[in-house]
Amino acid sequence: MDCYQCGKCTSICPMRRVSKTSPRRSIYNSSVYGLDSDDIWTCLTCGLCPQGCPQKVDFLSFIQDERQGKEPLDVAHLGVFTEFAELSSKLDGSKPEKSDSKYGYFPGCVDNLGLFLHDVKTDFGEITTSSLKLLDKLGIKPQVMNMKCCGHDVLWQGKKDVFDRLKDHNKKYIKESGIDTLITSCAECYRTFSKDYDLGIKVIHTSELLDKLGLKIDADVTYHDPCRLGRHMGVYDAPRAALAGNGVRVTEMEHSKDNALCCGVSNFMNCNEQTKALRIIRMDEAAATGAKTLITTCPKCLAHFNCLKNEKEPVKNYELDVVDLNVFLSRQLEEK
Amino acid sequence: MKGSVAVVGGGVAGIQAALDLADNGFKTYLIESKPSIGGTMSQLDKTFPTNDCAMCILSPKLVETGRHPNIELLSYSDVKSITGEAGDFRVKVLRKARYVDEAKCTGCGNCTEKCPKKVDDDYNAGMSKRKAIYIPFAQAIPRVATIDAANCIYLTKGKCGNCKKVCGVEAVDYEAKDEEIELNVGSVVIATGFKPFDPSVLTNYRFDHPDVITSLQLERLLSASGPTQGHVTKPSNGEVPKKIGFIQCVGSRNPRISRKYCSSVCCMYATKEAIIAKEHDPELDITIFNIDIRAFGKNFEEFYNRAQREYGIKYTNSRPPEVIVGADNTLSVKYEDFNTGELKSQGLDMVILSIGLDPSDSTRTIAESSGIALDEFGNIATSIEAPVETSVSGIYVCGVAQGPKDIPDTVAQASAAASKAAALLSGERGTLIKEREFPDEKTLSSEPRTGVFVCHCGINIGSVVNVPGVVEYAKTLPNVTYAQELLYACSSDSQEAIKQAISGNNLNRVVVASCTPRTHEPLFQNTCREAGLNPYLFELANIREHCSWVHMKEKDKATEKAKSIVRMAVAKSAFFQPLYKQKVSLINKAMVIGGGVAGMTAALDIANNGYEVTLVEKEKELGGMLKDMTEMHDGKKPSEIISDLARQIHDNNKITVMNEAKLVDVEGHLGNFKGTVLSGGQETHLDFGAAVIATGARNLEPAGLFGYGSNSRVVTQAQLEKMLAENLSANNITMIQCAGARNPEREYCGRTCCVDAVKNAIRIKKANSKANVFVLYRDIRTYGVTEKLYETARELGVLFIQYDKDAPPQVQDSAVVVHDVMLNEDIEIETDLVVLSTPLISGEDNSGINQLFKVPLDKNGFFLEAHPKLRPVEFATDGVFLCGSAQAPKLMEEAISQASAAASRACTILSRDFIETEAMVSIVNEAKCIGCGTCVTVCPYNAPALEEATVTAEEVSYTAKKSRINPAACKGCGSCAAACPSGAITAQHFSRKEIGEAIDAFEQGIKSIAVNEKVVEVTV
Repeated sequence: MDCYQCGKCTSICPMRRVSKTSPRRSIYNSSVYGLDSDDIWTCLTCGLCPQGCPQKVDFLSFIQDERQGKEPLDVAHLGVFTEFAELSSKLDGSKPEKSDSKYGYFPGCVDNLGLFLHDVKTDFGEITTSSLKLLDKLGIKPQVMNMKCCGHDVLWQGKKDVFDRLKDHNKKYIKESGIDTLITSCAECYRTFSKDYDLGIKVIHTSELLDKLGLKIDADVTYHDPCRLGRHMGVYDAPRAALAGNGVRVTEMEHSKDNALCCGVSNFMNCNEQTKALRIIRMDEAAATGAKTLITTCPKCLAHFNCLKNEKEPVKNYELDVVDLNVFLSRQLEEK
Repeated sequence: MKGSVAVVGGGVAGIQAALDLADNGFKTYLIESKPSIGGTMSQLDKTFPTNDCAMCILSPKLVETGRHPNIELLSYSDVKSITGEAGDFRVKVLRKARYVDEAKCTGCGNCTEKCPKKVDDDYNAGMSKRKAIYIPFAQAIPRVATIDAANCIYLTKGKCGNCKKVCGVEAVDYEAKDEEIELNVGSVVIATGFKPFDPSVLTNYRFDHPDVITSLQLERLLSASGPTQGHVTKPSNGEVPKKIGFIQCVGSRNPRISRKYCSSVCCMYATKEAIIAKEHDPELDITIFNIDIRAFGKNFEEFYNRAQREYGIKYTNSRPPEVIVGADNTLSVKYEDFNTGELKSQGLDMVILSIGLDPSDSTRTIAESSGIALDEFGNIATSIEAPVETSVSGIYVCGVAQGPKDIPDTVAQASAAASKAAALLSGERGTLIKEREFPDEKTLSSEPRTGVFVCHCGINIGSVVNVPGVVEYAKTLPNVTYAQELLYACSSDSQEAIKQAISGNNLNRVVVASCTPRTHEPLFQNTCREAGLNPYLFELANIREHCSWVHMKEKDKATEKAKSIVRMAVAKSAFFQPLYKQKVSLINKAMVIGGGVAGMTAALDIANNGYEVTLVEKEKELGGMLKDMTEMHDGKKPSEIISDLARQIHDNNKITVMNEAKLVDVEGHLGNFKGTVLSGGQETHLDFGAAVIATGARNLEPAGLFGYGSNSRVVTQAQLEKMLAENLSANNITMIQCAGARNPEREYCGRTCCVDAVKNAIRIKKANSKANVFVLYRDIRTYGVTEKLYETARELGVLFIQYDKDAPPQVQDSAVVVHDVMLNEDIEIETDLVVLSTPLISGEDNSGINQLFKVPLDKNGFFLEAHPKLRPVEFATDGVFLCGSAQAPKLMEEAISQASAAASRACTILSRDFIETEAMVSIVNEAKCIGCGTCVTVCPYNAPALEEATVTAEEVSYTAKKSRINPAACKGCGSCAAACPSGAITAQHFSRKEIGEAIDAFEQGIKSIAVNEKVVEVTV
């Protein structure tokens, strides 16, 4: 390990602002003593610290590897989403239907989110329908990929065996479908197919296609970079172009692009009062821009912000709507 | 005075009365003529308007009655006579020979299986067979067999004896004799219900034809537990019918056969049965032939509209005089089409006779032998202002024995009767009941030592599952230190065996593998407790309902499954911890909000039960809406009733009345509420343990309707009341029913308006026989015994004209023009006073009071009760009750019954020395709680609340909310624990660890999972 224990990572770490988490300590405990520390689980894998690391330590890979085979500290929603992935990994799954389209569109797990997250008052399925409408507008008629979960959450929860079973199935499915481009509307799926799958075909996020819809939208928004699309994959400009290209005025938050703050929860872990503080900080930044709408490109960010906004007795009353990029653009499409 | 009560009749009325009395600290005898309690409700398939499964909501009450320590159940027993006086009655009871020892019989059913004699099954209304030794239905309480002596081969011919041979516990006794016993009780509640009308009296309706059946028989055909498993088929040939016709009022509204009354329930049960039949078979064509459709109760009109709109059920306003059996044995009816005046004929595959409710035989025999007065219809006689009091002081009545009524009104009256009996005996409360005493609990050693007891249940389990094999397997499981088999785990000798095994092997976890926890868990928990073990260290593994009964033909697989079920129970129980009910002190005082007749009655009943009560009334004087009424339908003056109640309240030193007062704030919960009342600019703080909401309703001001407001000759029924008391000069009076009701804007029926209109029409005619009184109506809804008012009005010459909702009457200068549906012509009625019969609407304060107590309102702004059938005067929130027109419009006698009922329910709380919380409550780990409030949203009992706390997360500090669960309100349902996103809530006894261990134990046995189309098959 290249780490020389300078501790810069800990100072950068957003979790450190709200807890005793220390990336440095987790590397030290592991590489010096082979010890496990809670820090490997409280890490949000937001990808901020490696950007500042003088030794270019690949902290994300370190965390992903370190977690394998261990029991996560704090899984949200009683682990129901993990159970789903585990069960689905053991079932046969479906086969692709015959299609000539070279494009495949994968909606991800939004239907499962809709099934369990009632209180966040968000129509997750609308992300799928919106994406398909936008693709249609662009002349893309994809096969809808009826695959299993991409495995993002179980991989980051240290269940590589489950992830591998899901991956094997999905790779086979993709191969049999004959597509050469896989499109997804989820930042996590996008990262996973791109970096954890070695598919050998093109993987794109819907936000990369939307700058030339030709819409004229009169609106002021701000944009939240999901860690999976931004720092993990380096896609910062495409979603902004998708907004600006269709007439939308984007006001940046205090922290944006590679410097963006985290939505507070990842991989359905660490839903707690510390990460809630992160959500509050981020929503405060968004509110400070004066924009009426907060746009994001990851269904999880969407869920977590809307959860804060729709609490029974909210900590703060946020005026702004939190909307997925695809949904935002597609709604304008219909108003035309 | 004796602190005991005899409740006669074990239907839903008797059950509710007995439970209320027993919960109020009185020794209660529940005497039922049949082998099991449950009454007619146990035979119903579903109940409207919610379409709940009737047995599913009744069965928990049966179980609770069967195991209540203060209730002594005397089933298969008849009351012969009641003598004595209030406070000291002698009740002679004939205990009919059952030929089975109740104490020994475990209800295993082996005898029934071996009995060769088949008899018509009256539980299935004669449409299937049962045996001569039988348990009437699966959920019967007591769950013991009874020999039907008239049909038993041994008892009639001295041969057979099969049942005695197969009985493993030697419960069968052919020598048993009838036995007469005498009970000495302080009070008696009569709840003898009704007898379904026997339609063979009306030969025209051809009940002799197999495809002409009664509504009760259809109820059994629709039921999944019925003779056809819920498939409606023609009894004649088993074919599926295509056309069904209901004939209403068979045995009701028929003076020719001395049934002058309306049976109150038939219109709605026919509608419900029709809807369920349509749900089973959407192609079915259903017509309901009726005189008037009487959908008068809460949500009934809406249900009736849905039947037409969503299910396409046809209602034909015409009564066929006969059922015609054709030459080829086909059925048809002829009826007059009122629209065209033509006679029509309709072929039908089945005819359902909607039979009425006759007074039961036991009502008559008990009344005659005990000197209790009956009314002209054969019901126990009562009065409007005292609807549950019989002619004999100290003997009360409830349910259909007092007059035809539906389940919620029956349940309300049952609690009302209990309230009166309890008030009479309040000085003797608690004198005849015993607290159970248990040995101290053993301290729990750290290592689980589990004992497993596997039940054969006679042959129920043992003939399918290899019980000895399961026992041997259990011995190999982790933590199991002892295992044995039992022939009947629930028999009394088995309880001794379990206790000995616990002490002999120092067991600290107990698993019984037998049947459902629903009925048997309390028994085994009690056994554990008697052996010094905390009852929450016990687990039931259901290998009967979940295994042997459903896998009869796969014995090997069933045995493997039984092992898995036991393995899961053992794994789960290892993580059980002792749980304790907490005792929370309570304030034995009540608050009643609203000083109308309902509130006054509730306050008096609570005070007469011995508890202090504050009555909060917003106006200067008590009396509410009754103050505006000038005469009741029995001729009594409401002012006299109000002044009598007011005098009783004034004389009762336990009641404090606060006039011109308003409740402005409420905090707290069951047993410990803190209220603030604003009166005369002064705030008063009051503590109370229970509250009754009796805020009533108000008259609709029908501005703009039929010229009301602009035409001074148009008044409301309430205004007519005043005019009738002063002087009414008008000679030609036309009343318009359903003004502002039963329309898209206000869908519900006003319930009281028909009775009020008919009553006032009679008053007009009696004062001036020359007056012309017309009542323009859509359906006349003088339900129950008020049907006699309708008859009287017609005798006095009041004219009733039916109009259609789409062609309402037109009010002109000195006339009303109406399109008469019967004539199909427009009629002009000379009129100098138009009286609009408007419905009651919800009180304007309801939406404030519901916020204070956090209780719901329905879509019409009335308070929403906890359950429309079985909990009519309660809220889901403990300790808060409702009565009277605050819940929905009702007649005065109904409001009074409900008021006493709410008082009785409140007294079941006030009579306690402390509130005992559930032991299995949910708890919050505050450090993990993120204050999202999901728990508050999902909790049906208002147990969690969000409280402010400051969270400091290193450099960020914010004011957060944290959930706190009130153990006194929590019922341990676990909804919050399942919904909590951060896993901060644990449902104790069902924690993630406990459930997770059980699931993991199950997974250990999985060999494969195969997906086959839509079915996931798991092989263990």
